[in-house]
Amino acid sequence: MSVAAIGILYGLGTLVVMFSGMPIAFALGAIATVFMYFFMPGAALDMVTQNVYEEMASITLLSIPLFILKGACIGKSRAGADLYAAIHAWLHKIPGGLGIANVFACALFAAMAGSSPATCSAIGSAGIPEMRQRGYSPGFAAGIIAAGGTLGILLPPSITMILFAVAAEQSLGRLFLAGLGPWLLLVVLFSGYAAWRYKREYKTALDVYHGGGVKSAYLDEMLLTFSDKTRMLPRVLPFVILLTGVMVALYGGYATPSETAGLGAILALVLIAVVYKVWRPRDLKPIFTSTLKESTMLMLIIGMSLLYSYVMSSLHISQSTAEWIVALHLSKWVLLSTILFMVMVLGFFLPPVSIILMTAPIILPPLKAAGFDLIWFGVVMTIIMEMGLIHPPVGLNIFVIKNIAPDIPLKDVIWGVMPFVGLMMIAVLLLCLMPGIATWFPDMVMGVSSK
Amino acid sequence: AAPAQELKISHQFPGGTIAVGDFRDRLCRKFAVEVEKRTNGALKGTVYPGSSLMKTNAQFSAVSKGALEMSLFPVSYAGGEVPELNIALMPGVVTSYEQGLAWKNSEAGKLLSDVLYEKGIVIVSWVWQAGGVASRVKPIVEPEDAKGLKVRGGSREMDMVLKATGASVLSLPSNEIYQAVQTGALDAAMTSSTSLISFRLEEVAKHLTTGRGKAYWFMFEPLIMSRLVFEKLPKDQQATIMAIGAEMEKFGLEAAKADDQAVAKVYQKAGAKVYDLTDATVKKWQAIARDTAWKDYAKKNARCAQLIQLAEKVVPETPAEARPKVKAEKKGKKR
Amino acid sequence: MSHGFESDSIAKVSEEASSGLLVGVVRLIERCNEGVMGLSTIAILAASCILTLSVVSRYFLKVSTDWQDEASVFLLVGATFMCCAYVQSNRGHIGIDALASILPASVNRVRKGVVDIASLAFCTFFTWKSWTLFHEALVGGHTTSSSFAPPLWIPYGLMAVGMTNLTLQLLMQVLAYFGKREVVS
Ligand code: NA
Ligand code: NA
Repeated sequence: MSVAAIGILYGLGTLVVMFSGMPIAFALGAIATVFMYFFMPGAALDMVTQNVYEEMASITLLSIPLFILKGACIGKSRAGADLYAAIHAWLHKIPGGLGIANVFACALFAAMAGSSPATCSAIGSAGIPEMRQRGYSPGFAAGIIAAGGTLGILLPPSITMILFAVAAEQSLGRLFLAGLGPWLLLVVLFSGYAAWRYKREYKTALDVYHGGGVKSAYLDEMLLTFSDKTRMLPRVLPFVILLTGVMVALYGGYATPSETAGLGAILALVLIAVVYKVWRPRDLKPIFTSTLKESTMLMLIIGMSLLYSYVMSSLHISQSTAEWIVALHLSKWVLLSTILFMVMVLGFFLPPVSIILMTAPIILPPLKAAGFDLIWFGVVMTIIMEMGLIHPPVGLNIFVIKNIAPDIPLKDVIWGVMPFVGLMMIAVLLLCLMPGIATWFPDMVMGVSSK
Repeated sequence: AAPAQELKISHQFPGGTIAVGDFRDRLCRKFAVEVEKRTNGALKGTVYPGSSLMKTNAQFSAVSKGALEMSLFPVSYAGGEVPELNIALMPGVVTSYEQGLAWKNSEAGKLLSDVLYEKGIVIVSWVWQAGGVASRVKPIVEPEDAKGLKVRGGSREMDMVLKATGASVLSLPSNEIYQAVQTGALDAAMTSSTSLISFRLEEVAKHLTTGRGKAYWFMFEPLIMSRLVFEKLPKDQQATIMAIGAEMEKFGLEAAKADDQAVAKVYQKAGAKVYDLTDATVKKWQAIARDTAWKDYAKKNARCAQLIQLAEKVVPETPAEARPKVKAEKKGKKR
Repeated sequence: MSHGFESDSIAKVSEEASSGLLVGVVRLIERCNEGVMGLSTIAILAASCILTLSVVSRYFLKVSTDWQDEASVFLLVGATFMCCAYVQSNRGHIGIDALASILPASVNRVRKGVVDIASLAFCTFFTWKSWTLFHEALVGGHTTSSSFAPPLWIPYGLMAVGMTNLTLQLLMQVLAYFGKREVVS
């Protein structure tokens, strides 16, 4: 059978098992194993468990549970509620203020976590219930967190960008700096959308209420004096201490990126013990239970998706596609669009790290020859891969949301997320029209690159 | 004609093309092209760079079990599974390319091949590569320089030597090195010249100690093949593979040497100071290694003890150029 | 020890199960899972502490920190695999349930059964291969190649035990599914 035929079969098979409702982790593992059996040497089956273990047994990946623990400390204790109460008190006059605050929380957390699902989980476990409680529709709340979470791989210590820089032989420092502009652009786009959507949902709620329907939490009045608001401010303090503590440890040269994850978790535990007296096993149990549940679910999916990638790589599916596109000798912008489209389709199934490993060596030389700045392309490719994290069938952030808020139907999550996918596409378009969004900042700091 | 048999060649280094990029990737690609040409397409090599097929450590078991045909693999990574293989990144055991070259036909080399052969692995191409140190605050040239610094040695044996110099040793994944050096969580990192380039540490490091000329850091990263796969091939194909492997050794040697020079240029251009090692300095490092890592290694088992003894007897032989080709042809004819 | 969440899940699985023996086994497994959760909590806490102490000790005592990463990896891998069964007992391994709302109830019941059996088949295979990996590492005395060099049978063993529990959990769910169908028909 040709590589193309196997590739199509693999894709279709994946869609079928995914939509059968089989748990994602088992579905990925099972489809990979079946294809291994039919299309790969027999000994490959003996390697299944070792492959999964080797993929998972990196401290970089395993820092995810620790980031989740840090998030759960805030989200599952009163710390989260207090934090959001304070934010709400200060920002409720701004349309979508709470949603915007969540986008910013994700954006800041992104600078600590090297992975997107970790960012999504940490902020979402407190953010989603809070937004829903204040009237945000479930899909809207889920969309903000899922999309905000993707920012995790656009800032250091992003694993994805590190791998890209190595594959593209580009300056990692420059690539990280180049991520800042687009990061800001996405934050602005997400916030703008949040404000607009808030206004619309608010108006709908108002119409329903005036029409004699139920009164949405949106319409709850908030009458706070300035001194009330000031008194709420110290509640933000634990979060600020946590954020600065971890940032200082990471960027001040005290801790390596993965050590930062452990340090952050301990700091969060200490803070909730001191400030909120959450230290008894009875109080801590729900925090750890939810952390373990969520990280087990997520890590198993990641482990199995790497097994899935292994089969895909071994059958040469992504590589052949990339080679085929390169062999078409397309004109500059058609080549770029085709490649980005391919990355997007691969993003349906594969995590960003696997996409880079498989395709970068093949697609980068022709892109370079066509005159594209690879630093700029790295940022664009990262945003495209971020989209893959929030759209089905394999969208890690969606599964995180599904776990945080199991009562939101998947359909609502997906509809809530789609506008953000659109916003990311707009961001990519803007980046194509104005490459300076990415290149201006590194050029300013490090000087214009010699190419 | 029968369909071509595919030889998957996996490695952990950045991927490129046959003409440019990491020489270890290029070596695999050159091998793939040659093998297809000389077997008239009966064998077809496909290169999987950058661990895009499987993770570094999984490659060894995969080749050994026949799940993967070939790999360019720093065999010391499998030192936890086969203790003897730790010799492949033993500080001070090899101190020049000439000495590395002499391994293939030495007693030590034979023993090392046997160890791998028992594990189901055939050495196709012998590649030794020097490495150096990139550091941010002060250079590490003499062993005394390392005292008090936070260093990533990258292997059990190098870590032992570093600890003996008074450095504090850090273990962190290679993809976190850059950020750690940038922030100062790490003061220095040791790795091969080629990886010193691809990790882009010149952006954050101020000093580089090269491995050009003399070095105490040499890594054995051969092109290996699964014995199960190899022995199923017809004799003429086996001979062709070994012949091409031997030819690649020359390319590997020249490219490794070129990278030792290139890394110095890259760091110099980025504004870092570059230092070379003298014979006397290498001897100092070697002396520490002999007391620490070598001893530890010899204690592991009888074959380790034997291997480290034989390793000391490997002396560089000249002329280096003429020899390997003749041997390879002879081997081919005998079968 | 138990709180709302777990008693809910017991009720749920007991509902799925029909025979008394099955309910007993299910409850036993749930008891085990509870213990496993306790151990895993300790593991994840220990990993956090180890990484934190790594930072602190390197900064203040200037000592080498070459074992902390690997120790944390072992603890976290162990916790991940050991908790798989508990997560499955709560149906916490997420899938795309889009079809569930579209299909008629009878077809949906068949779909659920098929999915569980397929999951069971895969996990059985994975469990088997985990044990062979564990055996290889134990017999061969394999360690990691770092200076710490801990034996690899530890994480492999944790993976194998965790996957065994998961497989048993799935088996219970499949048996419960068939038990219930007999009652219905
Ligand atoms: Na990040
Ligand atoms: Na996706």
